[in-house]
Amino acid sequence: MKAFKKFKIDLKELSLKEKRILERLVQAVELIAPLYLSQKNERYPGANFYPHNVKKEEIEKAAKNDPLILNPYTLVEKNKKGKLISVPYHIRFKKELKPIAKIIKEAAKLSEEKEFVRYLNSRADSLLDGNYDKSDILLLKGPDFKIGFIIGPIEWYLDKLFAKKYAYQAWVGILDKEKTEEAKRLISIVLSSQRKILPGSKKINVSKVKIRIDKTVAISGLISELLISGMNLPRSMKIIKKYGSELTVFEPVLKLRFEKDYLPIFKKIFDKKIQKSYSPKTLYTGALHYTLLNELTYSLIQYKDAERRLGNLFYIFEEFLANILSLKSGEMLFLKGVISQKELEAIFLFYICRTFSLKQLSIKNPNLSFHYQPRAEIAFNFLLRENGIKKNNKNIYSPNFTKLSICIDQLSRLVEYYLALGSYKEAKEFLNKYSSPNLKD
Amino acid sequence: MGEKKYYLTATGFQRKKEEYQRLMELRKEKKLKIKELRDELWRPEDLNPDYGALQTDLDFIEEKIKRLENILKNSKIIRKKRKPPKKVTLGTTVRIEINGEIDEFTIVETLEADPANKKISTSSPIGKALLGKEEGETITIKTPIVNHRCKILKIKYQ
Repeated sequence: MKAFKKFKIDLKELSLKEKRILERLVQAVELIAPLYLSQKNERYPGANFYPHNVKKEEIEKAAKNDPLILNPYTLVEKNKKGKLISVPYHIRFKKELKPIAKIIKEAAKLSEEKEFVRYLNSRADSLLDGNYDKSDILLLKGPDFKIGFIIGPIEWYLDKLFAKKYAYQAWVGILDKEKTEEAKRLISIVLSSQRKILPGSKKINVSKVKIRIDKTVAISGLISELLISGMNLPRSMKIIKKYGSELTVFEPVLKLRFEKDYLPIFKKIFDKKIQKSYSPKTLYTGALHYTLLNELTYSLIQYKDAERRLGNLFYIFEEFLANILSLKSGEMLFLKGVISQKELEAIFLFYICRTFSLKQLSIKNPNLSFHYQPRAEIAFNFLLRENGIKKNNKNIYSPNFTKLSICIDQLSRLVEYYLALGSYKEAKEFLNKYSSPNLKD
Repeated sequence: MGEKKYYLTATGFQRKKEEYQRLMELRKEKKLKIKELRDELWRPEDLNPDYGALQTDLDFIEEKIKRLENILKNSKIIRKKRKPPKKVTLGTTVRIEINGEIDEFTIVETLEADPANKKISTSSPIGKALLGKEEGETITIKTPIVNHRCKILKIKYQ
């Protein structure tokens, strides 16, 4: 089925009951895919979240009287009188959500882990009552569950109109204990330092970060379509502030993406000397480190009023800064002797390959270009201009790691300024200045 | 030539000692299990795969014990001086500003290094660059690929 993907994972560490739980949860993940597809519509910037024949200004006007109009968990529709109203997802999609909730509760009945049972039941209830806070809190307060499972409206990427409405997604996987412990070690080193906040800015301190590296069994929704390899949840700032966040790396997804996209790009854009110096294994380690650090840095850079100031540009800058800060975190790990020079270089090379991949993605999925393209183009134009990477007449690139590090530092200062203190106008000018169609395949 | 000396903080030495004691207990348990298996069978290694595994574990433990004995025998504990340190040396805790971040860690020998617990090795790029520097100094940490300015905010004993 579209928007749904399964991975072949060794299940030997699961008991028979756990395998049955997993089966149920995979079913639930699969059943979310049609819901996601019903929300998706590439012909309209607002997808199917808003009526297609309504202007943005009308929606904004209606939202002044009914703030739920721009709530992440509501559809906007016209009532019989032609007035714009908000309809909660859990009401509109009740028929589809009921059987999914039932399956999750069946899985809960099979589990002997009390906290996991509570979480699953709460998550099932969330689907039906539209309130995800309780289940998010149980997830964050609970232990590392052997089976990791998330379901619900999560990502706003489909909503190009307002960047507000979340689309349904789901995933289920098995905790990779060894890789998770190593990831926790790396993360604790990164978190041991404190990021300075810019004077005048209002930063939110995230209380804690849970990490898991999963042997993902099934994914559905946008993460399946785009093969997104990591996620940091929840989205509610109120919850993050008090309970922290959980980041998950979907390792089978990363591996697939690496083989399908990143490695071919690496072989295409870099010269033979670079290709010989970095084996696929080394590059993959760079990919894993980068993905982990990228998801982590979302927790480190929450500025209270950034969304209000930057509007629909907020998410571009937020993600861009996360990308850049992951490289800086990699540098600190190298300086502290935690990773080697080669491993740091692999992170940098992976970042360049990923930037190319973002560009390719935005060509294949034009409805996502507004989200990916600016980041890809700004990063690349900057690196080229400041000689962080050089291009020859055959479109083959060679990196200058020292200059790359300087570029990253400069970019991080710029981008963080806009998130911490910048206005919409300033941010827009920055985007206009640095994004241009220079990034050729 | 004299044997290599290891410079450890008091905490580091204590941890190595505790690790040594744990390994000695573990060795005792493994030896007992091996003896039990031997008593059950005439040629236990042929008939019981657990015997082989236990022997491998024991070899590994013996090697670790030998290494730790050498370390403990040749260790010198870094003593805190009465006066606050003026320069970054082995065993001092340093607070720095680098890369838009404030960070604090103790400089230790590689043997004791544990970045997750804020113990950074003297052989790491940052450890190497900081040794011998004074409070208030701004230095450049130079490596083949990245260079960073770093300001030393405070030096103290933990």
